[in-house]
Amino acid sequence: MSTREKDRIELLQGTLDLLVLRTLLPGRAHGHAIAKAIECNSEDVLQVEQGSLYPALHRLIKRGWISAEEGTSENNRRAKYYRLTTKGRKQLMVETTKWEKLARAVACILTPAAREGDL
Amino acid sequence: MKRRHLEDLNRDIRDHIEEETQDNMARGMAPDEARQAALRKFGNILRVQEDTRDVWDIVWLEQLLQDVRYGLRVLRRNPAFSAIVILTLALGIGVNTAVFSVVNAVMIRPLSYPNPDRLVAYVEGASNSKAVKSGISGADFAEWRANARSFDGMASYFYTDGILASAGDAGQVRLASLAGDFWAITGARAALGTLFAPDTAPGSIVLSHQLFERRFAGDSSIVGKSMILDARPVTVTGVLAPDFEFLFPQNRPDVESGGIDAYVSSGPLLRSSRQRVFVAARLKPLVAIGSALTELQTLEGRVLQTYPDRWFAGVERMRLVPLQERLVGSVRRALIILQVAGMFVLLIACINVANLLLARASVRQREIAIRSAIGAGAVRVIRQFLTEGMVLALLGGATGLVLARLAVSMMASLGSETVPRLPETRIDPRVLGFTLAISVLSGVVFSLGPAISLYRTNLQYALKDRVGEPFLGWRGLQIRRTLVAFELALAIVLLTGAGLMIKSFLYMYANPPGFSPEHTLLLKVSLAGPEYAVKPRQVSYLNELVRRIASVPGVEAAGIYKTDLLLVQSKDNTRPPIVDSFRENLVSPGYFGAIGMRLVKGRRITEADPPDATVINETMAKRAFGDANPIGQRIERLGRQIRVAGVAADLKYSKLDADPAPEIFRAYPQNLGPGRVTMTLVLRVIGDPLGIAPAARRLISDIDPAQPVYSIETLQKALSRSITPRRFNLYLLGAFAAASLLMAIIGIYGVIAYSVAQRTREIGIRMALGAQRGEVVRMVVKQGMAIALSGIAAGVAAALGLTRFMASLLYGVRPDDTPTFVLVALVLAVAALLASWGPALKAAVVDPLIALRYE
Repeated sequence: MSTREKDRIELLQGTLDLLVLRTLLPGRAHGHAIAKAIECNSEDVLQVEQGSLYPALHRLIKRGWISAEEGTSENNRRAKYYRLTTKGRKQLMVETTKWEKLARAVACILTPAAREGDL
Repeated sequence: MKRRHLEDLNRDIRDHIEEETQDNMARGMAPDEARQAALRKFGNILRVQEDTRDVWDIVWLEQLLQDVRYGLRVLRRNPAFSAIVILTLALGIGVNTAVFSVVNAVMIRPLSYPNPDRLVAYVEGASNSKAVKSGISGADFAEWRANARSFDGMASYFYTDGILASAGDAGQVRLASLAGDFWAITGARAALGTLFAPDTAPGSIVLSHQLFERRFAGDSSIVGKSMILDARPVTVTGVLAPDFEFLFPQNRPDVESGGIDAYVSSGPLLRSSRQRVFVAARLKPLVAIGSALTELQTLEGRVLQTYPDRWFAGVERMRLVPLQERLVGSVRRALIILQVAGMFVLLIACINVANLLLARASVRQREIAIRSAIGAGAVRVIRQFLTEGMVLALLGGATGLVLARLAVSMMASLGSETVPRLPETRIDPRVLGFTLAISVLSGVVFSLGPAISLYRTNLQYALKDRVGEPFLGWRGLQIRRTLVAFELALAIVLLTGAGLMIKSFLYMYANPPGFSPEHTLLLKVSLAGPEYAVKPRQVSYLNELVRRIASVPGVEAAGIYKTDLLLVQSKDNTRPPIVDSFRENLVSPGYFGAIGMRLVKGRRITEADPPDATVINETMAKRAFGDANPIGQRIERLGRQIRVAGVAADLKYSKLDADPAPEIFRAYPQNLGPGRVTMTLVLRVIGDPLGIAPAARRLISDIDPAQPVYSIETLQKALSRSITPRRFNLYLLGAFAAASLLMAIIGIYGVIAYSVAQRTREIGIRMALGAQRGEVVRMVVKQGMAIALSGIAAGVAAALGLTRFMASLLYGVRPDDTPTFVLVALVLAVAALLASWGPALKAAVVDPLIALRYE
């Protein structure tokens, strides 16, 4: 565990919103599931400070990108579920494109060979 | 919306941690361990809750309200502390608001005329700053107005006094005689009747609304009526609107700004009348002031070719300045100095408040530590402090506004006669904005320091019960000492400024023996009416007047005089004139005794003397003859020779803040010119001079009831009026200095008393080990004096640099006057000594036993 802690990367400012939106694309989920999904799908590289998840969720609700609803969890407990809205779906597209552009740009600078390969 | 989203946040978080715990147990952790790990991973729950609430943007407002409520509670819990802080701030903010409201009225607010930025006044001088207002020939003005193309309108004006008589009563009025587009460029409107057209023939008069109310009780039937002005008939054509103000420069201290009673038409300004006028004009849009001046210079050059004018200063000395600039230019520097001094006072007030807050901070460090420990972020803690500071600052500002209102009315009565536009001072939105801005700024200044120093507190130390030990103890005290030293330095600067001004006043009021303005009464008489048009009649009236009034009980001596300022022109440029100008006084023989003027050499002049017999004053003698004996010598006066019969001692009896001007005295009946006679009666009185005023007035009306007396006042009053602006500056700067001294003393007392309280244990140990009381006192006083001396040294250095900016406000004193500096430094050193003496004595009576138990 301790060796793996070192490999973890803190999230860039603002990327948590994008990850949450992406995580909710297949369907609704509750808070803990979202945090877990982000960690698992990033092969445990990305460390979500779980505390920062809730402010992020509320920020997204306020912008109208996700909505919250009551539901029942697997173990039959009432829980709050978050779901992507139509507006959120569009936003995800926008954010994803933006992210890819950024990632490519950073990659171009870090490994010039990649750019030559593209050409 | 917000409430709905937030209400199950806690449940969410609980569920989240629960799930995480389950996961951890699934990985094989023991239940306790699993829960701990889950909590650790989640982070600070309170913080998460607060951050989530922050998302709903109204939260900052909520927190603000919370902080304000909390701040108010803290203030209410310490009413004495709060009152001191608020009053200190109110003083600092109040003086600045008051001074700024004057700055606003005098310098910032535009004149109440249309397009005020395009109004210009004509002056003469080598440069704009050295320009003096001076009149040009009225005929030249007529040429300018007819030909100049840079202006929308040009007006000329000059001042006269007159006796306005209507059905049964007569009274003195102050008149402005107008020509050109005066009404148009000032946008004047008539409340009743009409304003006479430009260039109407004389014979029309327009009354100011103030005169209309005062003299004629607002009786509208006077419009169109005939009256007698100086024995000539005039018709009242109209009354000006009540809001019209006459805001043109006047070089007569006895005419208040806006104090013109009535306006008459100058009529055509002919070359033969030799009338000189002042000129104001409105520039056409987009015409630069420089090109307008060039045009006037060209015009005047042409006029001078046809009509050489030996009184004219020369084309290259012609100047145009913005009217507003001309009006307030003379007081600008004083106002800026006062505003800077006010800022010093505010800074001192802020330092005192910061000191108080720092002292209290040690009491609050536990509170802050607890708040930080349970998750308050740095920003939140600092914001809490800022909010509390802001609450204090705004309460201080509101109280300061009340103080400023009082101060404004006091200032208006202090300086209304000579500071232009001062009566217009109001607390308007701009002033309110200024007050708000400086309140907020001082709030930030005095609360940010304590907030930051507190936040950097070591939590561990603070949470232990040892309040105020090493942590804020040393560093905090060090900050506070520096602040107090800085405060003392500021106080030194203000005190030095005030000290220099007080010394100037002492010089101004230093009177030679025999001259006692407080026992000298001046009465102005003006002979009006056709029966006094001839000289023998005037002389016999005046002689009778002086003879009778000298016999009134209480009158020691009586004389009469009339003064004119004569300009000297050199006829060729090879030799500069001895003097540029001199005062010529026509005096009766009793004059010297009545005013208290000593004769240094020679003799007085009497009615028996030939007209060319003259007494000159010492300044004139020195300029004209150097050290040679002037008696029997000749002086040229306007092309004629006059003979010096005596030399009189210099006397400052018209302007206190100017060096004596060169003067000559000639016998009045022999040299009285033609025309109307206005003379001043000088009475030297035993006892209260105003006490005999009624008797004098009755006596004058007994001789001829048609000749009113106007302006009865003591010479003392006339003199002190000549320095009203200086007195205005002195009172304000003096008050600022006194306030700063008081606050600096409180500051140094506070810091020493606090350090003594903190060192009680240490002092107890010292005494238990055998330290004597005297040693303890010396130790504490030494500490106080170390602060004081560093502050005083810094202050003296700063004052040396700064006082030269106030050189123009001083008289007879150099800005680096050593005695003043030494005295001020001594006063502050003694004050600091006394301020640290109190706490020192308290330290000396510390009982070692109690002190050692003191925790």
